[in-house]
Amino acid sequence: MRQQYAVRSLILITGLAVVALSVIIQMVRIQNSEQAQLFIAQGDRYGGEFSMIYPERGEIYDRSGHLLAGNRTVYEVGVNLNEVKDPEAMAHTLSTSLGLAYDEVYNKLTNSPDSWEYVVIQDFVGADTVASLQQIAQQLKEAEDPRLKGLAFKPHYERSYPENTLASNVLGFVTRDGRGYFGIEEKYNDLLAGNPVQIWVPRDPNKAIEIPKVPNGTNLVLTLNRDLQAKVESILDQALVNYGAENGTIVVMNPRNGEILAMATTPRLNLNNYSDYFLLFDNGSQYNSSIGTSYEPGSIFKVLTMAAALDTGTVRPETTFMDTGSIQVGGITIQNWNRESWGQQNMIGCLQHSLNVCLAWVSTQMGPQTFYGYMERFGIGHPTGIDLAGESMGRLKVPGDSDWYSVDLGTNAFGQGVAVTPLQMLMAVSAIANEGRMVTPHMLYAMLRDGHQYNVPSQYAGSPILAETARTLNEMLALSLEEESSLALLPGYRLAGKTGTAQIPTDYGYDGFHTNASFIGWGPVDDPQFMVYIWLERPSTSIWSSETAAPVFSQVAEQTVILLNIPPDIVRSQLGSR
Amino acid sequence: MQTTQIIHAYKQAPWRIQRQWIGAFLLALIGAAMIAALYLDVTARAAVAGREIQELRFEITTIQRANADLETQLGNLTSTAEMQRRALELGYRPVKPGELDYVPVPGFVAPEPAILLAAEDAVLPVQPIPFEYTQSLLEWFSERAKFGGGR
Repeated sequence: MRQQYAVRSLILITGLAVVALSVIIQMVRIQNSEQAQLFIAQGDRYGGEFSMIYPERGEIYDRSGHLLAGNRTVYEVGVNLNEVKDPEAMAHTLSTSLGLAYDEVYNKLTNSPDSWEYVVIQDFVGADTVASLQQIAQQLKEAEDPRLKGLAFKPHYERSYPENTLASNVLGFVTRDGRGYFGIEEKYNDLLAGNPVQIWVPRDPNKAIEIPKVPNGTNLVLTLNRDLQAKVESILDQALVNYGAENGTIVVMNPRNGEILAMATTPRLNLNNYSDYFLLFDNGSQYNSSIGTSYEPGSIFKVLTMAAALDTGTVRPETTFMDTGSIQVGGITIQNWNRESWGQQNMIGCLQHSLNVCLAWVSTQMGPQTFYGYMERFGIGHPTGIDLAGESMGRLKVPGDSDWYSVDLGTNAFGQGVAVTPLQMLMAVSAIANEGRMVTPHMLYAMLRDGHQYNVPSQYAGSPILAETARTLNEMLALSLEEESSLALLPGYRLAGKTGTAQIPTDYGYDGFHTNASFIGWGPVDDPQFMVYIWLERPSTSIWSSETAAPVFSQVAEQTVILLNIPPDIVRSQLGSR
Repeated sequence: MQTTQIIHAYKQAPWRIQRQWIGAFLLALIGAAMIAALYLDVTARAAVAGREIQELRFEITTIQRANADLETQLGNLTSTAEMQRRALELGYRPVKPGELDYVPVPGFVAPEPAILLAAEDAVLPVQPIPFEYTQSLLEWFSERAKFGGGR
């Protein structure tokens, strides 16, 4: 009996052991099978979600700390479809609050694909609208009313520009996909946007992960003076009205270090409604004409011709020239702006009366190699390197180019047949106001990152002329402006400058009715602290720069000396003598 | 001579053996229960800490958003157009060059553009959460099994 019992027990134990062993073997086999790896991978995939952490885009300030571009919170309004109890009520509420069509919302709620768990109703909804929606949702929740169950709000940033149109040509804008276009926003997009970080967030609350701190984008401080920018834009807008000009550009730069203090162009875009871009501009080069549009500058180019001639010793201020009213260069006759002869003139007179014939003679005396060598050194035909997106490089034809002719040496001397941007001219002429040293124009004053301010050093773009040459020409241009009794003068301040009235080239030769009126000037002559470039496109009240751009320069200079705290010359000399 | 070996043998009572088995089983059970309780306690605390971190992170994000909104709001309130409107309302008008008086102040140096550090968030050094506070008991056992005592 006992033996029988033992045998039965042994059989039972063996049977159970076999079953247990087979279960274990099966477990190991299943866990190491190909399908198991697939299931594990699936489990891992649903065990959490990738989340992208976007840093706040860096802010942009003017040089005094006024906010020019910031961020504000907007919301994505969406619905968790599985939680919706009453799609009619939800559609009604959302369509009313968000200004959408009822059918559109209802369709999204009821006809979305089955695999969708969440549907976006509207993005970039303002905080006020969302606050009222949240209030309604909260009230219903407290009353245990499920009509808005499933409604979700996801906050994120949107670019905001407190100054609307102010300096819009400099700032550029950021579209809803977070990319910067034009100006600072495009040039420094990577720096401003920062580095988004993707993290894996497990759904298992036991797995406490450390969410990395994502540093915000770098804040930028520009060299712009907001108040001066506003004044200059106001002066420009008024000038367009006063002189019937189609468009205009005014740039104010510190000739000592290349800091751009104001840069106004027309038209200007309200950056908070950047979708109007296509209503205002035909192409990108128009967005900021001071860097994007090159044109024949006319007589202001004579400043560079004279600088080169003085520097090489080809002429001196007292060198005389007998103006007969015309000169032959490359077989083509060049005449003065009024087609008259001005008799004997020295070089100051040539600049004062803006004599094409005289300057064409000067350039031929230098010869093409010297003349174009200097123009290259002045950076004509090359981008200035300003830290703004969309800069044009202009065009300087040189001997050897297929479209260069001998006459170009004469016409280029007075700014015809050469294309420059206003900023290229500012950069080139800065050498004259700055003791021969040419500055690189720039917009960035400093970067703010991780609690530190990194100032951007000024850069110089070489010394195309000697300091002595610069001083001589500085004085010549101040004298010519004074003797001309120019409308550009500002009482109390000695200024230097040059007008430029340029015919406009067309496919059929030069336009006989319209001009580009320009003026470049700086001051105070003994210590230049500002340099101003004016460009009025096709003024209709007068074609002459001396009657349009010159008085605008005076207005800009007046506001500049006030806002930059530059005392009149007499006060400065008194202060200097103490 | 025939020797007689007397072997003292005794057998424990069956109930005593049963009790020993039950005691050993209960001891193992209590041990397992203690380990389970410890595991539960640690993982529960880790879960709570994880949630707190998530909530704090959410709070930080909310505050950062509020800061950005307030800065933009301040920018709107102090924009050029707004300041000009308020100045005109208060009876101010733009100054003209002849109306300015310049007063020499010995030793005064014109300030450089405002340093904006005050507008920056103070950056506090962030200490990473030590591994001991984030790993579960099972992970700890697994690590010990893999790498032994030292890490």
